[in-house]
Amino acid sequence: MIKSFFEPLRVLNRRAMVSLVIAEVIIALVVWQLSGGGLIPTPLKVLQTLGKIVQDPSFIDNLFASLVLTIKGMFISIVIALVISYLSIVPLFNPIARFVIKCRYLTLTGLTFLFTLWTQNGHELKLSLLIFGIVPFFVTSLLSVVDGINKQEFELCTTLRMGSWKTLWEVIIVGRLDQVFEVMRQNFAIAWLMITSVEGLSMSEGGLGVMLIRANKYVQLDVVFSTLVIIFLLGIFFDYILGKFREWLFPYTKLSTR
Amino acid sequence: MNANVYTKHEPLLTAEHLTLQYGDKTILRDINFCIHDIHRPNMQQGQVVSLIGRSGIGKTQLFKMLSGLIQPTQGVVKIDNDQHPVKAGEVGIVPQNYILFNHRTIYHNLKIGLDNAAVKLTEDEKKRIIEDYAGTFQLTEHLKKYPAQLSGGQRQRVSIIQQVLTGNKFILLDEPFSGLDVLMIDKVIQLLIKVSTLHEENTLIIVSHDIENAAAISDTVWVLGKEEGKEGATIIQEYDLCEMGYAWQPEIRQDAGFQQLVATIKKQL
Repeated sequence: MIKSFFEPLRVLNRRAMVSLVIAEVIIALVVWQLSGGGLIPTPLKVLQTLGKIVQDPSFIDNLFASLVLTIKGMFISIVIALVISYLSIVPLFNPIARFVIKCRYLTLTGLTFLFTLWTQNGHELKLSLLIFGIVPFFVTSLLSVVDGINKQEFELCTTLRMGSWKTLWEVIIVGRLDQVFEVMRQNFAIAWLMITSVEGLSMSEGGLGVMLIRANKYVQLDVVFSTLVIIFLLGIFFDYILGKFREWLFPYTKLSTR
Repeated sequence: MNANVYTKHEPLLTAEHLTLQYGDKTILRDINFCIHDIHRPNMQQGQVVSLIGRSGIGKTQLFKMLSGLIQPTQGVVKIDNDQHPVKAGEVGIVPQNYILFNHRTIYHNLKIGLDNAAVKLTEDEKKRIIEDYAGTFQLTEHLKKYPAQLSGGQRQRVSIIQQVLTGNKFILLDEPFSGLDVLMIDKVIQLLIKVSTLHEENTLIIVSHDIENAAAISDTVWVLGKEEGKEGATIIQEYDLCEMGYAWQPEIRQDAGFQQLVATIKKQL
């Protein structure tokens, strides 16, 4: 069995794979524990701090602030990105969609001042920056979904006497809704990553990002690591939930061609 | 049923001087053929014709021109009794990979055909028709399944019926025998015969490189090939299988004369 772990292209059964993952996690933790100490907190220290953070009354507020901001930002971003992506097949709007994609290369830091002028308060500023940061990534993924549609699907619609708007509805909107969900799931990680950056712009509302910034400022590395673990675990949890939700909503995505 | 008794009537589909060029490259050149309405006594006899050619000769491009999906550089495709130029949507297509809407169940895939049919029906009427066709073509137990749950042969059947339900009298089939085993090929042949005899004007156009199976169910075969010194494929031979006595005979593949014909066509490719 051990030999199979080192064989290229070898497909392991579920039990063997779970054993392998557990073994590697244990090894990583042991290496971390043994090499830790000094400035870098050990896993045990991180675990202890994690317990304290979770019990802290302000933790729930911070967690809630980050979650609300992320979910709100994600929701508004996906609506904007969907509108831009669906309209991209109308020639008039295609250049706009292509430009939005390129906005991935604009840094948020340089635009903070502009957004501060446009928004009324700290929450709006964070939300708008988050949306501005996420939308180009959403549009990029959604346009690749649209571009990846087999031309024959459009031809099928033509032979079934469907007009262009009905084709848009059937093939791109309804037909790719499952993939929109997948794009959402994949890009949730980007939103989650950005949240810690944008929260630093207005710290009055708190949030996991604010916790990180404060802990970094006072070199409380055990708090930094524990907060990172919380952010990491929450990210994995949401990834799993969105994946399951997709399977439940779109059962055909789980089916394989015979 | 006497296979020798038949009459040919008005043209249903005519290809006139079809030429397709991409830049300086000629893909198809001066293609001409005509599909006539064939009548046989005491039955609904549709038309089944084959366009046979080697892989890469431009069959799929011809397929798209006949269905109005692409415009020829020169020439015109005319359909129906009034022989008007074909428009996209008037000719059904069944692509080689049997494209269906993967997010819809088989029932809803078939219903889309009826939803867009010229004749407007109530939901109950649509349900009855779908169930009727599903019964005839052994798909009843698959109506609630998604396309990904069906085999290639089953998807092909759904794809064909979807086009029939849309009301398309003309259905183009791209390589309908490709990738199927011998038993499945026989089933497909039976299915195509059944579809062709549903209505007097139903016309199936098979584009294939499988000479034997395509010719076995056709009333006319056109061979696509290249003429020496000329660029682009064109029709190099027409075989009227009704006249030759090979049409509409279920066991024709066992006939020595038919096999000789298959060998002759093979040499022409």
